[in-house]
Amino acid sequence: MGNPAPPYDVVGKSVPQLAAREKAAGLTRFVTDLSLPRMLHGRVLRSPHPHARILHIDTRKAKALPGVKAVATWEDTPKIKFGPRSEDWTIFASDKARFHGDEVAAVAAVDPDTAEEALDLIRVDYEVCPHVVSPLAAIAPGAPLVHEESPGNVAAEFNISAGNIDQGFDRAFAVYEDSYYTSQVYQAYMEPMSVIAETDLSGRLTLYTGTQIPNMMRMTYAKALGIPPEDIRIVVPEYGGAFGGKMENNIHLVAAVLAKKAGLPVKLTYTRHEDFLAGNPRVPMHIDIRLGATREGILTAKDVRVVGGAGARLVYSQVIVSTACYRVDSLYRFKNVRARGITAYTNTVPTACYRGFGNSQSTFVLESAMDELALRLNMDPAELRIKNGMGAGETSVHGWKIGSSGLKECVEKATDAIGWKEKRKVKQPLKGIGLACCNHVSGNRPFAREFDGGSAMVRVGKDGRVMVFHGESDMGQGQNTTFAQIAAETLGVPLSRVHVAQVDTDVSPFGLGSFATRGTLMGGNGVMAAAKKALAQLAETAGNILCVPPERITCRRDMFYDVDAPDKQLSFGVVASQATIARHGAPVVGTGFYKPPTELPDPETKQGNISPAYPFGCQIAEVDIDPDTGQVTVTRMAAAHDVGRAINPMSVEGQIQGGIAQGLGWTLMEDMHYGQGRLLNADFVDYIVPSAFDMPKIDAILVEPEEPNGPYGAKGIGEPALNPTMAAITNAIHNATGVRITTLPVNPAQLLARMKAAGSPGPELARNQNDRQDTH
Amino acid sequence: MTLPPLHIIVNGEDHHLMVPANRILLDLIREDLALTGTKEGCGLGKCGACTVLLDGRPVHACLLLAHQADGCRVDTIEGLADPAGTTLHPIQEAFVEKGAIQCGFCTPGMINTAKALLDENPTPTEDDIKLAIAGNLCRCTGYHKIVDAVSACACGSGKGECHG
Amino acid sequence: MRITPLEYVTADNLSQAVELLDSAGPQAAVLAGGTDLVLNLKKKRACPCILVSLQAIDGIDRICLENGMIRIGAMATHDRLARHPLLREKADILCQAAGLIGSWQIRNAGTIGGNICNASPAGDALPPLLALDAAFVTAGTVGETVISARNFFTGPGQTRLPSGHLLKEIRFPCPPANAAGCYMKLRRRKAVDISIAGVAFQAALNEEGTQVASAGIALGGVAPTPVRVPGAEDLITGRSPKEALENARAIGAACVAAASPIDDLRASADYKRTIVNVFAQRCARHVLTTLKEKGKPQ
Repeated sequence: MGNPAPPYDVVGKSVPQLAAREKAAGLTRFVTDLSLPRMLHGRVLRSPHPHARILHIDTRKAKALPGVKAVATWEDTPKIKFGPRSEDWTIFASDKARFHGDEVAAVAAVDPDTAEEALDLIRVDYEVCPHVVSPLAAIAPGAPLVHEESPGNVAAEFNISAGNIDQGFDRAFAVYEDSYYTSQVYQAYMEPMSVIAETDLSGRLTLYTGTQIPNMMRMTYAKALGIPPEDIRIVVPEYGGAFGGKMENNIHLVAAVLAKKAGLPVKLTYTRHEDFLAGNPRVPMHIDIRLGATREGILTAKDVRVVGGAGARLVYSQVIVSTACYRVDSLYRFKNVRARGITAYTNTVPTACYRGFGNSQSTFVLESAMDELALRLNMDPAELRIKNGMGAGETSVHGWKIGSSGLKECVEKATDAIGWKEKRKVKQPLKGIGLACCNHVSGNRPFAREFDGGSAMVRVGKDGRVMVFHGESDMGQGQNTTFAQIAAETLGVPLSRVHVAQVDTDVSPFGLGSFATRGTLMGGNGVMAAAKKALAQLAETAGNILCVPPERITCRRDMFYDVDAPDKQLSFGVVASQATIARHGAPVVGTGFYKPPTELPDPETKQGNISPAYPFGCQIAEVDIDPDTGQVTVTRMAAAHDVGRAINPMSVEGQIQGGIAQGLGWTLMEDMHYGQGRLLNADFVDYIVPSAFDMPKIDAILVEPEEPNGPYGAKGIGEPALNPTMAAITNAIHNATGVRITTLPVNPAQLLARMKAAGSPGPELARNQNDRQDTH
Repeated sequence: MTLPPLHIIVNGEDHHLMVPANRILLDLIREDLALTGTKEGCGLGKCGACTVLLDGRPVHACLLLAHQADGCRVDTIEGLADPAGTTLHPIQEAFVEKGAIQCGFCTPGMINTAKALLDENPTPTEDDIKLAIAGNLCRCTGYHKIVDAVSACACGSGKGECHG
Repeated sequence: MRITPLEYVTADNLSQAVELLDSAGPQAAVLAGGTDLVLNLKKKRACPCILVSLQAIDGIDRICLENGMIRIGAMATHDRLARHPLLREKADILCQAAGLIGSWQIRNAGTIGGNICNASPAGDALPPLLALDAAFVTAGTVGETVISARNFFTGPGQTRLPSGHLLKEIRFPCPPANAAGCYMKLRRRKAVDISIAGVAFQAALNEEGTQVASAGIALGGVAPTPVRVPGAEDLITGRSPKEALENARAIGAACVAAASPIDDLRASADYKRTIVNVFAQRCARHVLTTLKEKGKPQ
């Protein structure tokens, strides 16, 4: 039985998502569209204060309101401290509310109006406490304590070093040093968080919800509710986007508590305002960087300090801060690096994953610093990247083994596509062009300790219908379609035969979920392994019928045939039917898994190999600056991404364009503003995200070096699509104005002031100034 | 004072309904008529997910009281394909084929706005399209393929077929 | 988001609407397009007991030119204003502003009357109306009143609309053929955003085409109400467009002097002043250059 070889029939083809027609017709049932008989509607009462002691909660009037079926507070929960990676969560605030929006009480009623009316009837006596919002202020002496048991508000610390940092800087000809800040930004998936919870007579809980991590979430919630994981079932319907934001959140547990109390299904959907207040936005970070290189442009040392704001409890911010400390170290051939990271509790909404997972923040900083070094070295920024970029077969400073790398090709293709050389050479006033690179992972060994691979089941029915079961999560990015393409290619059937089952923890394999750009590689390899197992069983049946040993049987374009006598054929449908008949009705089921060749980093040295594959990319932005207002317009972008093989090129392009839109929003407009500790722009009126009119033309370029560990050579693309965008734009702003942006988002008023203060020098002038500094 | 029954024509079908004055059109569509293709993304008229066509013009169903639609035609995404639902409208086909759909939550509203645009201007420029859909937020696609899909439906786009 | 139960009445004609308003008193609210009112009902910023809908009243959205006056019915939507051929020809500044309001969806529902009566300092239609010397015709049980746009606004959300009255019509003298106007607003993204600071600039030449005979310059978003800037207008009127253009910087400065912006999360007061200065000068250049071309050769 031979493996398919290129050219492939299904893999590498641009196809619409399996669900696209249903979505276009408006027939797809999203989480917010679902309802169950006698379902109640939940609403949450939230703290109006960023930090306050809860003295008393009076729910009597709310309970008495006709139509109210349950009112819950901390007292109605198992009172267990829990968390995905910590024990600082409770279902509902217990003694204190720790952020504006913290869950204080909740109501379930026969309709949303009654539930909302009941909220107004709950009286809470608060004693307001001093609060702290800024991560740096939080770790300063004397700051108010978010959790009394965490002195100094230090939630976690991370230290890493490799090589000899002092020797590295000693060898440097040019050193750049500066402090950066990246804002707290919101994922702004179009469907707000929503869940339906119901409990059966045995007490078993079912959650219908859009989540990226159905299986891991179940483990966390089992602890929170004090029940075994098998007493929780999570079903994942189609849902409207996540981008990192739909993982553990109290919404599910509040609904579960209400459903149990009321004995009826409870639906809880966040209003957009609530989703801002109580979602899990990006970790804001202060990053200080020092970066050195030789006169020839060889990087010698990198030293960073990261302080990230966790908000009021740890979701994944501590892992995100550690990622920010060192993931970029494998973009270039670093030898000497050091990083110290502090994750600080603050009185804001708990922060967590958002596309890029800390690598976005540090890529912005490193790639800004790289341009500053290029300036000091009088070197083309593209050349500096190529000179230091990690290539295939190399091992990074932390032990990461780079199986494939298209970094150089990405830089070359992006620069060619946009005319980089000419545009850098012939400088036009108030126009700029900037470039940034990125690296990432396709799976993250240390994130889930027990294992990091992927698995699937492929069921072939008597009717020849192929159903793929996986435990990852298609949040709208098209993962199911990619899996179906992999299964179809492996089985040798047309895509139309293959379907992908809704994730249901009662049925699906224990997949880790969709994060760390792991779906295509980990999940895809799992699907491929399972499909091979199913194919082997079918080949046996086909071989029996054709009187040929199964090793000689293969399937392509829906026909089984003898590789030595290709005219000996049987259709896939016939074989599927015969296989089931031979088994007295048992379906053909292939179960397969993928164990990646990764190494858990050493706890001390952090040496290891955290992912089976590492995607790279290069993005280039062109900007126009309004000299009088400081407004920035991104006029064009080229984005070349090393994705291994693109299983579905159209889908990969969509990831790149969508990632850029989010990166552009972060760079130019997105920030969660706090005043008096309260989130001031918790809506789409004042939290602005890019509209169609803000988006430039984007050349999405796919660079496809075969990845040895990838299914059909594929790596991931989700997060890399966003990671270089911020620095590409701000490097272009620097090219246009000479102003180095060190705070995201760009504030036009400040840009204008700095342009004026600098007499708005072009980069020529800036370079001369820097040259003078270097000679002192 | 009792309100007279509300008369609206939804996707070509007449409805006479007793509707309280404080009922939002979006809730009527989604809950009373179970047409869940129209989405609620923000409830405040800022995201466009609830876009329906009121007498052919795109509006936010979340910012209209149901009674404001009295006597009007309301077209939702469910009315765009043929009644059997087997043949999609050319705009829907273009969204599918061009990869303009990722999570799909913005799609119904986006398609409705595109439909209204193409109805009144069968040959929109790229900027016309971007301005028309500027009130329909999409967080997945970066709008690139959405603009491609709408462009593909324009007269003279080479598809040889003018929609509407 | 729950809206408190209330009554809803659709008025068949203007007098019925006025009577309903009069009898319900302050507990009534006028429903035009609803894009602001429904939002405020949802956010509980408004809790009226009765809504009086104007949408069935015949002719209340009419746009026409009569006896040298342009008349716009209060229920005309922003989208109609933005595209109306008469307005495009005679008062394009209003079309520009209406076209920049919200999204297409908002422009299809929201009305100019609503924009005026909500009296948001950021309301896009307001500065152009001030610049055009518009007057607002209001209707009450005992008759109509006419209030100039300059005097109508008293603070954020506050107007001189007499109690029990509703806004019926907007009128302004039809600008002559040799007039030009420009509206610019600061936004945080390229489309669909609230105005953070706006400048409206309208000017017309004398019949000979030699001098600027009249000018209206107004600002939005930088004071509790939209404001006219007579100090800037004086720098233009009675001068040839070429001479007036030389005053561009002074025009900017006069506009800044008339602004009293506040710091908010959208922008700092300083930055709003900068923008007023820049946009006033840009508007001046655009309008005066257009007028120069329209004027007779000197």
